[in-house]
Amino acid sequence: MSEILLDVKNLKTRFNTDDGTFRAVDDVSFNVKRGQTIGIVGESGCGKSVTSLSIMRLIQKPGTIEGGQVLFKGQDLLKLSDEKMRQIRGNEIAMIFQEPMTSLNPVYTIGDQIEEAILLHQKELSKAQARERAIKMLRIVGIPAPEKRFHEYPHQLSGGMRQRVMIALAISCNPELLIADEPTTALDVTIQAQILDLMRNLQKEFNAGMILITHDLGVVAEMCQEVAVMYAGRIVEYGTVEDIFYRPKHHYTRGLLDSIPHFETGHKLDQLKTIPGMVPSLYNLPVGCRFQDRCPAVQNDCRQTYPPLENMRGIHKAACFHPISDEVK
Amino acid sequence: MSTPLLKVENVTKSFPIHGGLFSREVASVKAVQGISFEIKKGETLGLVGESGCGKSTLGRCLIRLHDVTSGNIFYNGKDITHIKGEELREMRRKMQIIFQDPFASLNPRMTIGSILEEPLIIHNLFESAKDRQDRISQLIDLVGLRREHLNRYPHEFSGGQRQRVGIARALAVNPELIVCDEPVSALDVSIQAQVINLLMELQQKLGLTYIFIAHDLKVVEHVSNRVAVMYLGKIVEMAEAEELYRNPKHPYTKALLSAIPVPDPRGKEERIILTGDVPSPINPPSGCHFNPRCPIAIDDCKTIVPPLEEKAKDHVAACIRV
Repeated sequence: MSEILLDVKNLKTRFNTDDGTFRAVDDVSFNVKRGQTIGIVGESGCGKSVTSLSIMRLIQKPGTIEGGQVLFKGQDLLKLSDEKMRQIRGNEIAMIFQEPMTSLNPVYTIGDQIEEAILLHQKELSKAQARERAIKMLRIVGIPAPEKRFHEYPHQLSGGMRQRVMIALAISCNPELLIADEPTTALDVTIQAQILDLMRNLQKEFNAGMILITHDLGVVAEMCQEVAVMYAGRIVEYGTVEDIFYRPKHHYTRGLLDSIPHFETGHKLDQLKTIPGMVPSLYNLPVGCRFQDRCPAVQNDCRQTYPPLENMRGIHKAACFHPISDEVK
Repeated sequence: MSTPLLKVENVTKSFPIHGGLFSREVASVKAVQGISFEIKKGETLGLVGESGCGKSTLGRCLIRLHDVTSGNIFYNGKDITHIKGEELREMRRKMQIIFQDPFASLNPRMTIGSILEEPLIIHNLFESAKDRQDRISQLIDLVGLRREHLNRYPHEFSGGQRQRVGIARALAVNPELIVCDEPVSALDVSIQAQVINLLMELQQKLGLTYIFIAHDLKVVEHVSNRVAVMYLGKIVEMAEAEELYRNPKHPYTKALLSAIPVPDPRGKEERIILTGDVPSPINPPSGCHFNPRCPIAIDDCKTIVPPLEEKAKDHVAACIRV
């Protein structure tokens, strides 16, 4: 059993807006071990990105972290001073964002940006050493001719190359935990395959923990060992990838899996199964289960209380009063 | 053999790049190069490829949103490559487009009702306002929205609903051919499935012909009868959807198919990972455009431009190595 690196307990993040208050993340708990990749999946607005920003304490007004604990190697990040948190952020926990164009500064060369990050976090290094390390990082992430690329600006690079730079930036300080928020969503499939392969290899090499946030179930199946499925701010199902893909218990998970077109189904031009309706507005959540209006198995009790996340088998948990019975897919 | 609904012959589109003194043309982006194919009525042709491969440009050329640089486009046997004015407007009634971004393609200051009324007015389809309103009500039912939505503005809708409005707008003038340019890529998976089902239902009901442009190969397989794979402005492979996915010939198609993450943890073990990026269409590699990234390239690939040849029945590919 490897060591628990990050333990998120009952995390709640609230946004107060002119239209009212809503909880984007509501009572979310999970943990990440060293060398392990946890996937967080869900549709837009389910709270997956807010969860990661809360862990990094990057929630800005009007958002506030209302409660819960984020234990990183035993210490609660939510209780640290801003100064302490700044040392951890980027140094021990690093983040890779979705859009590599907007998360790099367009007026500095990519080399300067990596060098800056290194100098900021590793104060003992000289500028020359930092430069050397930056070039080494660019080489590790597979950028050809890194000495030359060092002096180029973000706009001179392709999307895939920019994402490699982002990864180089994120790993430049040897983080123990990597949070990747839709790292390949903006990329083409052949480039996505390259980047996923790179991330997998780097993780193995550095034995880091990783949280991978994505809406793509294919990416999850390939990269993660455990998966949290989020819906309207809550984790509705948690388990190993096999649990989630072969023995889903929650009707939302089942619906998500069914709505992706599969290869080799043979019955082409059939209707895809869909989840009817839309995600409820977080301002105006129904009483009881949040999935009730879209659920095929809804019953009266679903409309009265929110179903707790109950243990199924092993680490498998689902928040449903009427879970799907076991089936082998 | 009936005349195909749309026939494309050797279509090329380049965009000039101006620069230097007097803004002379210094280079050009060869977005689409020598493309030919036919589509039968009621069929769906899928166009797939990575960003910058020219699939959207091609889609726009087909319905004359771009003028082609050379080549010909025939609609029902009639050459529409250079028609103008009233004739072009008549033609446009038959060919419509659905755009990718349902946020950017609807005017935020117009209600859904007026967005749907506009094409009816432009094409002068109904005499009275009442008839137009009837048509709009019919359209809104067709795409699964409600009539009270007609007085609302685009920002009040979710992505999936907006895409339904985009579909209703395209259908307003009773077109025969619709170019669907990445119609579902901005949507969440559960919503994606709803919109795909709607498009397929409408196709059956109204006998529509689709050109379905997408980068998501799974979606394209699901909706298309035939699929064309594009790389740097050229079709590298084209076949019946099932044949193409079961039995890909071109190394690029193989790599593309193998790069898709499968939603199955037991997935496939072996994966072809291409090195490098898609080269610039301003200065594409000589010979076969794919040669610098191709795992099976030989020296000849740098000089010989591979023709699109039949490699199996109704299955063409442009590669000298297969």
